[in-house]
Formats: sequence, structure tokens, C-alpha cells
Amino acid sequence: MIADAFTAERIGAAWLRAALTPVSDFGRRAEDAATAAGPLDAASARERCAAIVRLAAALDPDGAGRARVALRTVPDPLAIVSRARAGDPLGDVDFYELGRFADALDAVAHAWVQAGGAADELPVASAVGTVLAPGRSGAGFYLADAFDPVLADARTTMAEADTRVERERTRLAEAIAEELGFVPAAEEFVIVREQHAGPLPHGVRVVRETPAYRLCTLERDMPALLAETERDGERRLLAAEEERVRRELADAIAREREAIVAAVARLGELDCALARVALVHRFGGCVPTFADDAFVLTEATFAPLAEALAGEGRTYTPLSIDLRGTAVLTGPNMGGKSAALALCGFVALCVAAGVPPPARAVTLPPIRRVAWIGGGDVDRVRLLSAFAAEVVRARDALAAPEFPALVLVDEYARTTGPREGRALLIALVEALAARAHTSAFVATHFDGVAEAARVAHLWVSGVAPAALDGIAAGDLSDALGALASAMDYRIVPAGPDVAAGSDAIALARILGLPAALVARASVIYER
Amino acid sequence: MNGALLAIALARGAPVIVVGSAKNVGKTVAFNALRAAADERGIAYGLTSIGRDGEPADALDGRDKPRVRIPPGSIVALPEELVPRSPALEILELGERSALGRMVFARARLAITCEIGGPPSARAVRATIDRLRALCAGAVFVDGAIDRVAALAGGADAIVVATGGASGATVERVAEIAGDLVARLQTPAYDPQRDGPAPLRIAGALDARLAEALLAGEPQTVVVADPTRIALRGRLFARLARHVAVRCERALHVVACTTSPDGPGGGLDPVALVRAVARATGLPTFDVLAGLRA
Repeated sequence: MIADAFTAERIGAAWLRAALTPVSDFGRRAEDAATAAGPLDAASARERCAAIVRLAAALDPDGAGRARVALRTVPDPLAIVSRARAGDPLGDVDFYELGRFADALDAVAHAWVQAGGAADELPVASAVGTVLAPGRSGAGFYLADAFDPVLADARTTMAEADTRVERERTRLAEAIAEELGFVPAAEEFVIVREQHAGPLPHGVRVVRETPAYRLCTLERDMPALLAETERDGERRLLAAEEERVRRELADAIAREREAIVAAVARLGELDCALARVALVHRFGGCVPTFADDAFVLTEATFAPLAEALAGEGRTYTPLSIDLRGTAVLTGPNMGGKSAALALCGFVALCVAAGVPPPARAVTLPPIRRVAWIGGGDVDRVRLLSAFAAEVVRARDALAAPEFPALVLVDEYARTTGPREGRALLIALVEALAARAHTSAFVATHFDGVAEAARVAHLWVSGVAPAALDGIAAGDLSDALGALASAMDYRIVPAGPDVAAGSDAIALARILGLPAALVARASVIYER
Repeated sequence: MNGALLAIALARGAPVIVVGSAKNVGKTVAFNALRAAADERGIAYGLTSIGRDGEPADALDGRDKPRVRIPPGSIVALPEELVPRSPALEILELGERSALGRMVFARARLAITCEIGGPPSARAVRATIDRLRALCAGAVFVDGAIDRVAALAGGADAIVVATGGASGATVERVAEIAGDLVARLQTPAYDPQRDGPAPLRIAGALDARLAEALLAGEPQTVVVADPTRIALRGRLFARLARHVAVRCERALHVVACTTSPDGPGGGLDPVALVRAVARATGLPTFDVLAGLRA
């Protein structure tokens, strides 16, 4: 899907991107790969949306949330597996991490099945757990004797050698204990000069001297030295055995590389899918139907706005829009015209991303470009006025290749004189209507644009005048709430007798403009 | 004798942090003496360091340092790069990331002598110590550093201050330095009931310039974040503490001192030193090598 930054911002692309952000590194990689692959073709998008809708129907929302939480905790084993594959030595921390990976896969599987997911859709790397099982009594990892009897023997032999060294040390210590007045218990011990001013007993070696102390060790005789030499040899043998077992474990892990890589890829897919499922659970979603000549939404929700309104305790009204080719949308101020345009772009964006659009039904062309014209501010990057900026955007939209595109025009030419502005808009609508593969939705307050350009005219139902009169001016928040309650946001074909005007004066009163000013405006308007 | 130091250190039922008043004042000797006393009594413990430690030689001056011997059953928190390959440790958990890799919580299955190191940030220090305590369900000993002890402020940890001949040329000077340090570290926590409702809160360090200004003003209560924010030494701090009530938001708990008479200029009198430091600090003081207590 091609949409420049301005358009993307208008149609909720950032919101959608945030909502689809995976919780795991695997998911982020999968999402990045999907983004790099470009937009889905119609068949793939439909298939993807159908799969998500099926999954959303199968999964319990709370359970799906728990599965996402479980996904977040899965450590990434790929770096470790790559090192094992390359023949690099792995350490016990690596095996611990791989064990965590195996545990985390189990946790994801449990959460997934609890949520109602099918077990055969789960990633599998059970061999990792099996390989490491002898070293895992709980969540930790130890290069346990159970991995290899030779390792167990090496540890036993070293323990025996240690015992012999300790026995020799005890023998030497006891031999000098009477002379020293104490039995040296540690490898190194201190003799305080004040307590032993004279020569040290035979068998004591000074390691370091200070004016107050002498740090000493026992002088080893031949049996003690032999015991230590033997112990040191056993230590080296144990170290070699430990490394051998680690190498074998690393080889076993390397042999599971394909399964681990596949499991990781599946985790990424699950993560991305669960993000989409979460959206469907929140806002609903349908499987889109593709048609070249229709952009028809039934009870569709512009999710970013719905979320924002919900945050303020207000309710979004799902919209149905029947847009075939090019249509002009008119209606009162604050009636949701811009939001209706944004909704069309958002739906196209969802479908391109394989997200079931939040609607009861959607039929649309396989949109590849969305362009938003108008409704903007000064272009500070290119130093263009608001008018210049939207003219340039219109120029660019018309110059773009005629592949399936959605052009959203929001109050184009509103910042210039109304006569010339209306003329420019009619000409733009005619040009858009003449383009192949283009759906265009044009919101405006200019009168007679649809009729002049001979395109469909849609209308926001709005508020009955009597209802508007009944809303008191006062607290802005209360006024907006009352207005939203009274407003009929439905978009319907405008009949020939559709009332002109934008309710601007009545709305200005409700929004708190001084009463005298509003009254004067009414007088001027009625003239 | 070292059993008495251990009993005092563990009396709070909290981790024990050993810090030195200067380099080469016997901090690691005191740390190891506490551990040896725990070993003798069969007390299981966990250990870690604030900052890198356990190297064969001091990183700054190259002098030999005592190695850290970890007995079987002990739990150690150390950075990943320092995890010895043999004999293997039992890896229990991973923690915060440090310059030397993630912090690893591991249990020694066989006795091992190795280098230990600490977590990278104040927050990680606290988290590491708390996790270590939960894992070992016993005593926790931390080879500390005076410049990183702020991370512990507000906790229940028991701090043992090691001091010795390397910090001063005479018994009197070593005792004065120890007394000054302990007085600052023991700065009481601010209590609105006792200290009044509207103290002067100092966001950064309480330094000499600020101290002069406070001395020129009315007596009041001054509150710093923690005792390590008091960047005053000697008589200036004593003067200030007499004029204003110096308090902190997060207090430290110093429970004992140790002394080492060795210094670059020769040895001090061990008995005189242990007594002088005890007098200057008002804390139980031990020479863990000579078996002295005052």
C-alpha cells in the first residue's frame, strides 16, 4: 500500500501500526519481513483476513491476551543455535536460555490451547527440552552428572582427590597446632606478630608480611604435594569432561536447528496473528470482498477514532458508505465527513495489511495507493501555503499511475475565494471521475459540486434544526456530548431536496460564540 | 570473635554490605571473615559485589587481593562473562545486563574460587541483592563500594565499614576519618514529627558552598536524598551538623566497623586502632585477623 506520510497520518496508519506491533522479537521480525514483501494481493489479503476472522472466532479474547503475554516472555534462541551450528562452544548460560525457550514454548502452547486454539497450529521444538532434560530439575540448568556417566565419574574422582588433599592439609595443620596454639582451618591463615613474635614453626610458609600480621600457608611435604598434584590433574580432567559434554549438547542443539528455526518462525506468525485477532476482538472484523467498481462499507468503524471517543466516554457510530467510482460528501460541520474519508482509507489500509477491516461487510477494489488531498495546514517543509500544499497534492495524485487508488479529498480549495475554489473542486472531481481504477471520496461545503461534476452525492444525515436549537451553549465538553448524541452520522444518498448549508451558525452558538455575534450572523445569512 | 561480627551484621535480618573507607583497608578481608564465620556456623548465603571484584590483583594498584572462594551450596550473582566453566555452576536465573553481560544467579555445586562482579546500575544493584536474598533464603553478603552505596539507601541492609592504616598515617587520623565517614553514613532519616514539617530539601549534593550559606543562616532542618549526597568532610560537616539538623530521605544503617592496621607507612598498633575507631564511630569495631573487638 502506497500512502505518503500526510495521508498515512490522516487515515490512522500510525495507530494501526501500533496496534499491530508484535510483542516478541519473532513477531517483529515476521512483521518486518511482511512489510518488506510489500502489500498483499487481493487473494492473499482475503485469505489472510479469513484466517484471522476464523482464529478470532475460535479464540477466547482473554485467553488470546494471555497467549500474547506468554509470547512476550519467549527468549530468542537463534543466536545460540547459530553459534552451536558454527561449532562455537556454548556455555551453561546458553543451555539455561535454551531451557527457558523450551519452557516458554510450553507456556505459549498451554495458553494457546486454553484460549481455544488448535494444537496442530503450535510451534514445536520438543527435542530441545529433551536434550536438556537431564540438567533441568526446575527452571535452571546444571551440567549434571546425568548427562554422561564419564562426567559423573570425573566428579566423583575429583571429590575423592579433594578429600585426600584435605586429609593431608589436616595432617599438616595438626602437626603444627601445638606450637601455634591453634589449628589453621583455612588454606591461608594469619599469625599476629604480637601473639607470635618469635620464629614460625617448621611447616609454615609466609605468603605476605605486614608490620602487624603474617599471612601464612602450610608448607606442603611430599605426600601433600602429591595429593595436590593429583587433585589438580583431576580438576583438569573434570574441566575437559565438562567441555566434552557441553560440546555434545551443543551438537545436539545444532542438529535441531531446522526445528528451532521453524518454531521461531511460527512464533512470529502467531504473534502477528494474535495482534490482528486482538483488533478483531475489540472492533470486529470481516473478510473483504474484492470488486473493481465498488467501495462499499457496511457498519464500518474508524478504530482510532472509536478508541479516542471511548476514552472520553463517548460512542462511535459505525458508518455504511456506498462509494462507486467518485462521490461527493456534504453535510453539516462536525458531522464526521473527514472521519468518513479517513474510515475509507483505514479500511483500505487494514485490507492491505491482512487485517480484517472492522466492519460487518466490506467490498472494495484491490487498492494499491491512497492519497489525501486538502484539509491540511501550511506545508512547512516545502514552504507552501495551505492552498498551495493541497494544489500540489492534487497535482501529484493526478500524475500518479492509474493503478487501483483511493483518493480522499477533504474540503479542497476552502482557503481560496469560494467561486474559484468551487470551480477548482468541480474540475478536480471531474478529473478524478475520469480516471480508471480510481475511487474518490470528496468532502466539501461547496454547493452543487456533485451535480456539476455528474457524480454521486452522499450526505451526512446531521441534526434536525429543532434538535440543534434545543442544545444549550455552555460547557464545551457538555455541548460536544449533547451534539454527538443529537447528530445522525449516517451517510445516505442526497436526494434532490437535500437541505443546503452546514449548520455553521447554529453550531457556533452551541460552541459558545457570543449570542449577539451569532444573532448578527443569522441576520446577515437570511438577507 | 568473627562470630560476634557476623551476629551483629545479621541481626537486622537483612543483606550485609561491606564497604571500605579507602582502598586497601581490608574490605575484602572483612567480607571473607564474615563468610568464613557463616561457613563455620553452617549458614547458607548468597554473595555478590557492587562493582568488579575477586580479581587476583587490584585493578588500580596491582596489589594481590584475596580471591573469592565460593563453597558448595552458596548462591552467587555475577556477570555472565565471569561465570567459570569448571567446575560448572548451576544456573538459576538471569538478571540485569551489565558491561560484562547479564547478571547470572548461580548455585555452586562444588567449591570454586572465582571472580565476582556487580550489576551496572543503582536500580540493578538493589534488584540483584533482593533477588539473591529471595533465592538463597539466608544471609546475603555484598562486597560493596562506598561510591555505590547510595543504591542501597532506604533499604534495611546492614553496612559494615572497613577502615585501616591505608586511610591515615596515625591511629588518631584513621579513627577521625572513620568517625567522619560513619557520622555521614548514619545521617538520620527525615521525620516530620521530630524535625518539623517544612525542611529545606536539597536536590543535589550538600557541598562546602552550600554548607557556608547554611551556617550563615538560621538553624533549620536540611534534607538530602541519601547520606552519600553529603559532600562535606571533617570539621565543616561537624560544624554544620551542630548548626542545622541534617537529615536524609533514605537512610543507611551502619552496624559495625573493622580495622586493618596495615598501611603504606607501616603498621599501626592494632589494639589502639580498634579502640580508637570504636570510640570515634560509637560502633562495635573488630580486627578480624587479630581477633580483637572494642
